[in-house]
Amino acid sequence: MNSLIALWQKLGPEVLTRTYEHIYLVFLSLVIAVVIALSLGIYLTRCRRPKLVSVIMGIAGAIQTIPSLALIAFIVVVFAVIKLPTIGTIPAMVALVLYALLPILRNTYTGIRQVDDSIIEVAVGMGMKSRQILFAVELPLALPVIMAGIRISTVWTIGVAALCGLIGAGGLGDLIIKGLRSIRSDFLLAGTVPAALLALLFDWLLGLVEKWLTPEGLRLEQDNKA
Amino acid sequence: MITLKAVSKTFANGTKAVCDLSMEIAEGETLVLLGTSGSGKTTTMKMVNRLIEPTSGRIFINGKDIGRQEPIQLRRKIGYAIQHVGLFPHMTVAENIAAVPKLLRWSVSKIDERVNTLLEMVGLEPDSFCDRYPAQLSGGQKQRIGVARALAADPPIVLMDEPFGALDPITREQLQDEFIELLSKIKKTIIFVTHDVFEAIKMGDRIALLDAGRLQQLATPIELVENPANEFVDQFLGQRRFQLSLLTRTIKKIMPEPKKRKPARDTSIPPSHLRANSSLIEALDMFKKSNEVTLPVCDGKNFVGDLEKSQLLEAITRVMEETGENS
Repeated sequence: MNSLIALWQKLGPEVLTRTYEHIYLVFLSLVIAVVIALSLGIYLTRCRRPKLVSVIMGIAGAIQTIPSLALIAFIVVVFAVIKLPTIGTIPAMVALVLYALLPILRNTYTGIRQVDDSIIEVAVGMGMKSRQILFAVELPLALPVIMAGIRISTVWTIGVAALCGLIGAGGLGDLIIKGLRSIRSDFLLAGTVPAALLALLFDWLLGLVEKWLTPEGLRLEQDNKA
Repeated sequence: MITLKAVSKTFANGTKAVCDLSMEIAEGETLVLLGTSGSGKTTTMKMVNRLIEPTSGRIFINGKDIGRQEPIQLRRKIGYAIQHVGLFPHMTVAENIAAVPKLLRWSVSKIDERVNTLLEMVGLEPDSFCDRYPAQLSGGQKQRIGVARALAADPPIVLMDEPFGALDPITREQLQDEFIELLSKIKKTIIFVTHDVFEAIKMGDRIALLDAGRLQQLATPIELVENPANEFVDQFLGQRRFQLSLLTRTIKKIMPEPKKRKPARDTSIPPSHLRANSSLIEALDMFKKSNEVTLPVCDGKNFVGDLEKSQLLEAITRVMEETGENS
């Protein structure tokens, strides 16, 4: 117990800064990923080219299958070639955004496409414009599915962001790298435990948000089916 | 009111859904588009609110070519109800009904009032139904809301695509009856799509029977049953001719000549009586329920004569012989 207090006294301030950096990195990457994936997902439900849809989904899926460490390394290489900064938050965020795209993109697309055809038919038939159908019907009905995608992306991004310490992006990864290099378990613990707690915390929080954003009528419908 | 002029629709895959269809639908009339699946009945209906654009031909509403109107504005003036109802699951009953009035930017108080009126019209208590969600309704209630939503902005024209098709037979019949009753109070031009000939006979002022995109016959229910225009119509009615005739023939036709009016009869209408325009089947029902051998027949408030059960049975036997029903 005493050793834990001693550890906190020694590393506490740094853990706080690193956690703050970590959240900052994850949050900014997610905002960018949500904006891109949401608009792209909506566009894909609107364009009548099934080939384009499968190509884009394929690319997003392929990015997802690349091991995260390899993706970060790859971005560093590409950035070196095109003379962009290879260390710091910028390459890290590019990697995180790419990594976070797929779950949000896929869930936006399927969430909107799964809305019952008869509902859309009636909406068109009663004289709603495409934009009105999107905002008044499709998005509210797809919201729980989209939120589930954002939740998955968030948890993944928190994990992957820990690797970004390798390229000097700060965050809890920084402590982990230090611990690994100097074989010091106190640094390792100070990096890994908060990272794991963050992932759990955000998973729980976003689960609440998901529930909160599910329209009541939809919740009742799901209860009926259950 | 609605005029179709040589309307054809060929889909991108080459299917000829509708071929050279011309007809006129009068104001306040219920026109039933009847046919099997693939007959083009739904395609025809969807061309009226431009969910489907005709390949050739033109459609006029009140003399105006709808091809030259903005589809969005056109659709807001035409009610639309479909078999799968398509209620918005995330909206309450009131919000669902208010959908079109909201698009038309009605004031909140006007919308509230309209929602209440409509709920009462379709036989649902506004106070207990307004705030419910579709998931909390039965199939019949959902369809009632679907009809109410179609009528929400008081459109002069309503398109209905098998609106009662997904319901169990008892609920369906109940909703059909209620809808006929409702239509007698509000004057609407209805295009009603169905594959069920009994529903067509019951609901339609006129029936357009379609096959493979071509109009086979456009006639009143009685004409359709009594005088099929061609072999297809004849076969379509087929085995059901006997039952259909019992539905379309009224007892007015089989009433004996009023030889001796009974002036002494009480002027008030007795509780068990027949209406002159009741069908034979309804008359039979009434005899069964009342357990009488003779029932008075009234036309409106006037007493027309007495009908004996034996006369009714004779008439039914005649229909049976005419239609070749021998079972």
